[in-house]
Amino acid sequence: MKVVPSRSSEWVRPVTPQKPASAIIEIDGVSQVFQTSAHKDHVALSDISLTIDEGAFVSILGPSGCGKSTLLYIVGGFVRPTSGVAKIKGAAIIAPGPDRGPVFQEFALFPWKTVLGNVMYGPRQQGVRAAEADAQSRSLIEMVGLKGYENFYPKELSGGMKQRVALARTLAYHPEVLLMDEPFGALDAHTRTRLQNDLLNIWERDRKTVLFVTHSVDEAVFLSDKVVMMSKSPGRIRHVIDIDLPRPRRRNELLLDPRYQKYVVDIERMFDESDGAGFPA
Amino acid sequence: MMSPTTLIRRIAPALACIGLLAIWQVASLVLKNDSFPTAIEAIKAIPDILSDRESLINILASLRRMAMGFGAAVLFSIPLGLLMGRSRAVAAFFNPLLMVIYPVPKAALMPIIMLWLGVGDVTKTLVIFLGVSLPVIYHSFEGAKGVEEKMLWSGAAMGLSPLQRLVRIVLPAALPEILTGCRTGLVLALITMITSEMIARQSGAGNILFNALDMGQYDTVFAMIIVVGAMGICLDAIFERIRARLVRWSEPQFDMPLSFS
Ligand SMILES: Nc1ncnc2c1ncn2[C@@H]1O[C@H](COP(=O)(O)OP(=O)(O)OP(=O)(O)O)[C@@H](O)[C@H]1O
Ligand SMILES: [Mg+2]
Repeated sequence: MKVVPSRSSEWVRPVTPQKPASAIIEIDGVSQVFQTSAHKDHVALSDISLTIDEGAFVSILGPSGCGKSTLLYIVGGFVRPTSGVAKIKGAAIIAPGPDRGPVFQEFALFPWKTVLGNVMYGPRQQGVRAAEADAQSRSLIEMVGLKGYENFYPKELSGGMKQRVALARTLAYHPEVLLMDEPFGALDAHTRTRLQNDLLNIWERDRKTVLFVTHSVDEAVFLSDKVVMMSKSPGRIRHVIDIDLPRPRRRNELLLDPRYQKYVVDIERMFDESDGAGFPA
Repeated sequence: MMSPTTLIRRIAPALACIGLLAIWQVASLVLKNDSFPTAIEAIKAIPDILSDRESLINILASLRRMAMGFGAAVLFSIPLGLLMGRSRAVAAFFNPLLMVIYPVPKAALMPIIMLWLGVGDVTKTLVIFLGVSLPVIYHSFEGAKGVEEKMLWSGAAMGLSPLQRLVRIVLPAALPEILTGCRTGLVLALITMITSEMIARQSGAGNILFNALDMGQYDTVFAMIIVVGAMGICLDAIFERIRARLVRWSEPQFDMPLSFS
């Protein structure tokens, strides 16, 4: 793995091999090449290696088109890498499975199912009895703040509400790893902040492993234990930054915390340096 | 209380029918042509047809063939269309075949089918089947092709097998489109039903119509046209109700008051 240590911050350090005992996801030399036309290849990911510890909240940060989604899809088993291998608990990932729960930026809810129907879908598929799945799903819906909307269809919900349903639907079948692709990217600033807080609260209850793709430096620092910064063309890992901030994190406290501010400023600068171009929107 | 707009919308079809009959009546009185009876004469002939045992048996036989042709076509076409929409290989195999069959009027195939299968039920049902199949396959295909990939990925992550994804995600997601195809197919079933009975004159509603024409009973001819038309309108209305109920989740909410009302 190629990591360019930056001298601009004392928190940046080269990646050291993780203890394999606690690693849940291992990405080893993964490259992804898309054939865009008959004789033109596009290297979306180039030799990505990354280890994610069990229970860690890891964000992937990078400019648009650097392959963040592609990397997430590879871990999800939805896309097979051109070369290299991604592993979960030591086993190569060759297909999607209920141990990895995706939350897509497009929501991808089942529009013919109600909110409750969507959330119950996974547990029912896993053979949980109807009454039990019903009860569990209702409490999940309450947890994501949608009590009273159980019988609404997706088309009757706002964007933020759909995103909550998508999160509840994935949490419902208890994946070991949550794969979230810019889940709050399409939301307004206020809803986004609320959902970030809610996600952190939920995460702090059972500390699932989360792989979280985002464009936003604030969001990455606020949520994560570790920020993986990527650069574009070809998509590579530039830096891996540990975010050493206490938990549980409160947004209002954190915004005033100089350590938080320094992380944000440093990472934004690194972003500019490694990207060369302007800061992504 | 029904609002005036709702009231107008409710009675609009009836008004349209009455208007059409009125124009017919006037045109017929003005033209004074033997082969163009007045609307009232035609309507008067309807009870005669519907009370005649022979005619009723014929009409029911037509409806039975239509139901069988339509049902078989739907059962065959939806899975085929869905498979074509999700599998490039299946689409590559069937597409050229369907492109050849598509522009051929199905009634034009009847002479050949009659030669092989006779002039009975099988031939007519088969022609109806062919007529209904294409729009249903096409719309199922388009519907399945348009299913959002992330929806299928979500299903795969929950542990659905490819077949389960086809039945439990692609089918419901494509249902609005499929039912649009079925609705077109239903009207085509009626058309091919009458056409097939025109060509293989043996029994059925189309046969009554053309027998009456041969014998110069023009009021019966026009009465049969009304009966067949009414059958079409009723079937379509019933189907539309079922369709609207099945895909309520996807309908845009027209009835929501917008800026003014
Ligand atoms: N199926 C595909 N076929 C061809 N090229 C693809 C495909 N999927 C992605 N790419 C290309 O790979 C690169 C990375 O795409 P990806 O969607 O992973 O980027 P991203 O970092 O998620 O961007 P964004 O932040 O805008 O979502 C892009 O240049 C894109 O054009
Ligand atoms: Mg993306």
